[in-house]
Amino acid sequence: MAEKKKAVIVGGGTSKFGVRQAHLLDMVQEAMKACSDDIPALKPMDIDGLIIATTMAGRHSSALNTAPLVVHRLGLSPTSICIRLDTLCAGSNSAIIVAKGLIESGISEVVLVTGAEKVYMPQRWETNFTQLAVNDHDWDSAMGLGVPPPFFAMIAKMHMKRYGTTKEQMAHISVTNYNYGTDSPNAHFGGRSLTMEEALNARIIADPFGLYDCCPLSDGASAVIIASEERAKELTDRPLVYLRGTGQHATHSMSSGWPGDTLAEWPHLKKAREVAFKNAKLTPKDIDVAQTHDCFTISEVIELEELGFCKKGEGGAFAASGAINMGGEIPTNTDGGLLVYGHPFGASGARQAIEILKQLQGRALHQVKDASFGLTHNLSGTCAQHTVVVYGKEPVK
Amino acid sequence: MAELQKVETVGIPALEGKYIGEMDIWPFECQEFNRLYPFFDNLRAGKFTTTKCKKCGHIGFPPGVICTKCWSDELEWVELPQRAKVVTLTETQAGAPAGFPSPLILAWLTFGEKSPLKHLLGRIVNCKEGELKEGDEVQFVVFDVPSHPIEVKKETKVCDRVFYAFEPVKK
Repeated sequence: MAEKKKAVIVGGGTSKFGVRQAHLLDMVQEAMKACSDDIPALKPMDIDGLIIATTMAGRHSSALNTAPLVVHRLGLSPTSICIRLDTLCAGSNSAIIVAKGLIESGISEVVLVTGAEKVYMPQRWETNFTQLAVNDHDWDSAMGLGVPPPFFAMIAKMHMKRYGTTKEQMAHISVTNYNYGTDSPNAHFGGRSLTMEEALNARIIADPFGLYDCCPLSDGASAVIIASEERAKELTDRPLVYLRGTGQHATHSMSSGWPGDTLAEWPHLKKAREVAFKNAKLTPKDIDVAQTHDCFTISEVIELEELGFCKKGEGGAFAASGAINMGGEIPTNTDGGLLVYGHPFGASGARQAIEILKQLQGRALHQVKDASFGLTHNLSGTCAQHTVVVYGKEPVK
Repeated sequence: MAELQKVETVGIPALEGKYIGEMDIWPFECQEFNRLYPFFDNLRAGKFTTTKCKKCGHIGFPPGVICTKCWSDELEWVELPQRAKVVTLTETQAGAPAGFPSPLILAWLTFGEKSPLKHLLGRIVNCKEGELKEGDEVQFVVFDVPSHPIEVKKETKVCDRVFYAFEPVKK
């Protein structure tokens, strides 16, 4: 058997995230412009595959078959793959897994992975109807489970009860992520800062969450280029960053199928992590920098545990010890994460990938010294599916 | 230069109260749309049910057309426990989905060792904010929800609907 090709992330960029006065396709064009600025040698004809990750395009932009729209607006003419992909919050991270497979198998050479959401349209309140359709509509949603704060609030209460996690520890995460994200020009809350006092005194969204424990719903788009090692060398002079290992694990769609002993244990994330690290031939100790799915502060706490960066139950104390800060054991969400950069569902995974790429190439805004290995993680739905991708400056040997 | 013509508006005028809220918050429950319609008929009879596999005995939730353990399609309807215990709960102050009241009380429920349904997220009704506590017992309750019309040949049929939630058991 011929040796497998190696998949590389070449470059990428995002649109401004936030409540945008822009159409979905405007933001896809903005993300492509940013990606093009990052890879000056890249031309439309270089791209032979397209994956657009979006959940809301059909409902909020009347764009159900989104891929041809993106082809036309970006001047592409793909020959190997041209698809829309939807795994909600993990959309573009799932697309990166697919792109890796396409490159390694030789089906594609240069794949554009883009993710985009326009949520606040046509009318702001409609988002609250749409939310019911991204959960298990006929069962959990009909119980009133729409936007995620209530579900994750119960997860937080359970974690506080079982492991002694505190509101202060959770506030430490939002303050850290604000410190990281404040100077990201395209972040939803770029330019803003947050103190512990502000975090702890914020208005309650769903007990125990205050406003800053919750990420925003954002409009936005992101774009990255995944290519074969050979093509990547033609497109960039920067050090190559390889996709080493991936894992995606799904167990259920609604509450009755929850796999943990309680809401505070996420065995499905642990499983996704094990698969990704096995493929990457690495362990959590090897990872220098991580972008995890901090949709809520408690999510980052539990992710630090289940991803293997600290012991189960110790995520809150680990984060508050400074482990997630620059110079700590595992600087996490170094571009501000979902809490500050924002969360246009399908666009988030690629945004994380861009930050890891920059970290491993030594050109991040908040640079982790000598970072060699990085990790991205998304959860999606009511914490029903976990997606993990491991990157490195060297390929798997 | 072409003149702007005054013609009758085509499409759905969003701001004149005629906009279709296409995001229905309740399931399509009638036989025309759903092979699981007995679940909803059973709700009307006050029963909380699901499907049990006649081949392997697995009881899944939600009910289905095939067994999720062995993929057999030989299923029968069985009743589930109607009482559950509150493990943890949350009262949502902001951002409850449109159509649901605020504060919206949601609880993580367990149904006991012997129940085939281990846990479920349940909305708590007939309960004031601050009343419900961890460890409290709640019971299944059924209520009417808005009906919807469907076209059957040239006729329009109205599908009446129900749904369920949980309420505190009076001590």
